[in-house]
Amino acid sequence: MDGMLLVSIALPILAGVILLIASFSEHLRQAETLGKKKTGVRKEQSEGMKGLHIYVGLVLVASVALTLTTAWTGERSLTLFTLLDEIPVFFQIDDIGRLFATIVSIVWLAAGFYAFVYMKHEGNEKRYFGFYLLLYGVLTGLDFSGNLITMYLFYELMTLTSMPLVLHNGTREATMAALKYLFYSMCGAYAGLFGIFFLYRYCDSLIFTAGGTLNAVTASGHGGLLLTAVFVMIVGFGAKAGMFPLHAWLPAAHPVAPSPASAVLSGIIVKSGVLAVVRVIYYIVGPEFIRGTWVQYTWMALTLLTVFMGSMLAFREKIFKKRLAYSTVSQISYILFGLSLLNETAFTGAMLHTVTHAFVKCGLFLTAGVFLSYFGYTKVDQLDGLGKKMPVTMWCYTIFSLALVGIPPTGGFISKWYLAEGSLESGIGVFSWLGPVVLLVSALLTAGYLLPITMKGFFPGGENKAVSKKEPSLFMLVPLIVLAALAVLLGMIPNPMIQYVSDIALTLLQ
Amino acid sequence: MDFIQNFPFMSIILSLFSGPLSSILNGKWAKRVNMAVITVIGLMSGSVLAYVLGTGQGFVYRMGHFSAPWGNEIRVGVLEAFMALFFCVIMLLCMLGGVAEREKEIEVSKQNLYYIMVNLLLCSLLALIYTNDLFTAYVFVEINTISACGLIMIKQNGRTIEAATRYMIMSLLGSGLLLLGICFLYDLTGHLLMSNIKEQVQMLAATGQYHIPLVVSLGLMSVGLAIKSALYPFHAWLPDAYGYSTLSSAAILSSLVSKGYIFLLVKIFYRVIGFNVICESKVIHVLFVFGILGMIMGSVSAIQERDIRRMIAYSSVAQIGYIYMGFGLGTEIGVVASIYHILSHAATKSLLFVAASGITDASGGSRQFRDLTGAGFRNKLAGIAFTVGSLSMVGMPMFSGFISKLLFGQAAMGHTHKMLPTLIALAVSTVLNAIYFMKTVIRLYAPGSGEEAMVEGRVIHIKEQPAKSVALVFFILLNLILGLNSEPVIRLIESGLQMFD
Amino acid sequence: MNFANLLNNYAEAVAMILFGIGFSNLLLQKNLMKKIIGLNIMDTATYLFLALKGYIEGRKAPVVVDGIQSVEAYVNPIPSGLVLTGIVVSVSVTALMLSLTIRLYRRYHTLDLDEISTRLKKEGK
Repeated sequence: MDGMLLVSIALPILAGVILLIASFSEHLRQAETLGKKKTGVRKEQSEGMKGLHIYVGLVLVASVALTLTTAWTGERSLTLFTLLDEIPVFFQIDDIGRLFATIVSIVWLAAGFYAFVYMKHEGNEKRYFGFYLLLYGVLTGLDFSGNLITMYLFYELMTLTSMPLVLHNGTREATMAALKYLFYSMCGAYAGLFGIFFLYRYCDSLIFTAGGTLNAVTASGHGGLLLTAVFVMIVGFGAKAGMFPLHAWLPAAHPVAPSPASAVLSGIIVKSGVLAVVRVIYYIVGPEFIRGTWVQYTWMALTLLTVFMGSMLAFREKIFKKRLAYSTVSQISYILFGLSLLNETAFTGAMLHTVTHAFVKCGLFLTAGVFLSYFGYTKVDQLDGLGKKMPVTMWCYTIFSLALVGIPPTGGFISKWYLAEGSLESGIGVFSWLGPVVLLVSALLTAGYLLPITMKGFFPGGENKAVSKKEPSLFMLVPLIVLAALAVLLGMIPNPMIQYVSDIALTLLQ
Repeated sequence: MDFIQNFPFMSIILSLFSGPLSSILNGKWAKRVNMAVITVIGLMSGSVLAYVLGTGQGFVYRMGHFSAPWGNEIRVGVLEAFMALFFCVIMLLCMLGGVAEREKEIEVSKQNLYYIMVNLLLCSLLALIYTNDLFTAYVFVEINTISACGLIMIKQNGRTIEAATRYMIMSLLGSGLLLLGICFLYDLTGHLLMSNIKEQVQMLAATGQYHIPLVVSLGLMSVGLAIKSALYPFHAWLPDAYGYSTLSSAAILSSLVSKGYIFLLVKIFYRVIGFNVICESKVIHVLFVFGILGMIMGSVSAIQERDIRRMIAYSSVAQIGYIYMGFGLGTEIGVVASIYHILSHAATKSLLFVAASGITDASGGSRQFRDLTGAGFRNKLAGIAFTVGSLSMVGMPMFSGFISKLLFGQAAMGHTHKMLPTLIALAVSTVLNAIYFMKTVIRLYAPGSGEEAMVEGRVIHIKEQPAKSVALVFFILLNLILGLNSEPVIRLIESGLQMFD
Repeated sequence: MNFANLLNNYAEAVAMILFGIGFSNLLLQKNLMKKIIGLNIMDTATYLFLALKGYIEGRKAPVVVDGIQSVEAYVNPIPSGLVLTGIVVSVSVTALMLSLTIRLYRRYHTLDLDEISTRLKKEGK
């Protein structure tokens, strides 16, 4: 029994619930006043928001500190209670969980502080921050979970608690997008559960163990069935990671969600799909089981297809946030492609890209949010000449873009290098050279859809619009700068990170 | 013989006699008597459960001290006592939740009649749970039908009378088949007591004699009870009956009445025929197929529905499908899953009905989907309760529905041929469930509400109803207990099934 | 198919045919009265079957009239008892059905259940 672990999960959840209750009672009062008076004027909520910000900020910092200390101080495990016979709710901190928990914490801090200013124009801040904190606790639980059932439990909770973020502004489009998100996630999650039932039968245990727990004796003779189950799980959890064919929720959900929400959605929630796939393939089934089977090839083909398709769609898209959403679709499949190669180098590349992409995509969405909240710009061609108005913001954007394209000295370069090398190393016929080619083409496309904004931002053709230099408020600017700095740092001093990740890869793939 | 062994019989008699007693009381007193009787019976069942758990074995209560092949018997094991306790709890909460609706919707002069029906219903349910005699079971099935019909038609408008008529017709078809099946079995074995029949049936099955009549009688009984518990495609009466009757009737009907028949079916499987014979027969395949059809079709109908009560009613069709699918798997763990689902569905569905009524109250009495916008803010407890119920139905972890889904999945894994269809059906129906329940929940919490309902000139009055609030809180707790603390309940069901043999 | 068997047990066969007639009437007839008649035919067929099973050729009803005789002289009384119970049940059910029919007829002046349904839908209540 380890209290620390439990507290680090429970603290944000409790704090979030308290906020939600407060927001709910506010709504009630509103509904009552609406019932009494026929005037439907929404009450101004600006007073008292400072208190809210202090509360959220304190809770956020406290729980991040708690989570990080929990994660980085030794092995911990905790069995909460037993669900069914021999399936406990069980937490256990391992290297990959640590990595993900750290990413989550950093992004959560950045997007959280950013949201203090941003959410002013969206309204309903209490509800937003309530779910935001709640989601942080759930994600911590997901990263620390020690068996498949616990992971599934938190995976579902994550879907449920992240949906209100998409739903936030309550318009019809947002509702439809949230339903779409829910529907895709549920389909995916139940496909995952479907697979879990199979694995429950053929595995020694559902506790995550490096190298897998598949029982060779009971599994023999059921290979075809098990492979199908594994494939279904990959596709199912891939839904969260935006893998073709279940990717359609991403471009629908991102534009309607508030920008910091899309930032964490794209930076973190999508990565949970990746984490789930890693857990299933590398920790339960074992990479050896699917090596060289149709599952691996189909998986690779799907990811490459998604990489290409996502880039193409992003290239054609004119709405900024939607473009970024398609970009996420394509970039996450880089990671999944790296995982599907099943070798050390590619795995290292995939994990590095996870880290880079989390920071970069979060940063990109936050910049999009800056443009949206200050100018109300949603389309790409509205952004011309903005570099003169907000030079620092635009520079951050440029760094993010370069990192996503993969130009040194940013983190994207290192991760893509490892991915390409891993692909060439793998020696799987066509895929070993097709992979790098697709990656390269997609990188070009990425450059094609991200960099013109920078160029036009700084060098607008023709006459200039009225220029008045005005940077966003510090709460928005600092997270951007921090994230950009992290993206560069990952490229400048990559060694500790590479060392850490390749250690994980070594234990998983001897 | 310990005094406590009298309790099962006393609880049946108590509820039976409190019926006529209610007829000479006025509505208010009949209500009090009814509540008291349910509570007392609940306490009695609880002590019986404790007693049976303490001794570790079931007991037989001989009526009038006639011994085995001639006398009528009551047989009590862990599962029976637990079911009786659980049914009492659910019934008490349903009655609590629907107090205000009953006073509004039932004529004052007829209120005491309602409580007669409820008492009779409880009596017949208890008898179905406890009895060890097939013909007694048949008689109480009919009593159950009649009193359920009374519960439907007590709110007198065209809809309910029509629904009651349809319900009666389907039920009579079912009980006709059941009776014929019992007659066949009696003809084959010469006994009416379940345990004696089982000896004979096992002998017949071992020698292979009278194979066809045995299967026919088994089929007749299964189909009869399936019709009565509204297995797809025999569900036509259900949406009307659940949708238009008064609240506590709908809640009781959906959570208890159909479950009583299903429990009788479990007893027939285990105690009358023997589970090994059942597994070899083709009957369970039929149940399996119709169960799966029900799971899908019920949800599809629910998606198309625009009336929240009827939507919940259609969802019952799907849930009954789950239960029959579990039987159809033909494994011990499948039956455990089904029985767990009986509990979880009873707790959840009655919660949903009561919560839905709170929501419709907050929407100016309209049950139409479009009027429910933002109702979760107007009636907070009902909104939360509905959300909990929905999440449980969808199978979110932490709530009871998830555990039963997990159990069904586990059960399916033990079966080679039925594994894939079961898992696929589970996944599909879960997603369908998610569509209509989540749609409703989002609608309940959609902002920018209030005004629309006002525009249409409806008056929204949210009366505080303490009884309903208490019921809702307890229902939510029950759901959480079943969802988080499932282990002991599953153990209880397993040991209860072992006592059946 | 052994027709000789069928002929030997012609009474049971008749009961089953009657049951079928009653069942299909209850299920398929539109008219409520005919449904109720079907119900009664069905129940009666079951009682006929039960009574047949309980009767043994050449034995007496189990009523002791002239002193105690051996058990072999009487038929088993239980099936008759069951039939009696069954009749009571079916009478009460029939009464309930009839009362429901009267209610519906007073409201809608028709005995056709489907027509009542469509009318209810039109009213939209």
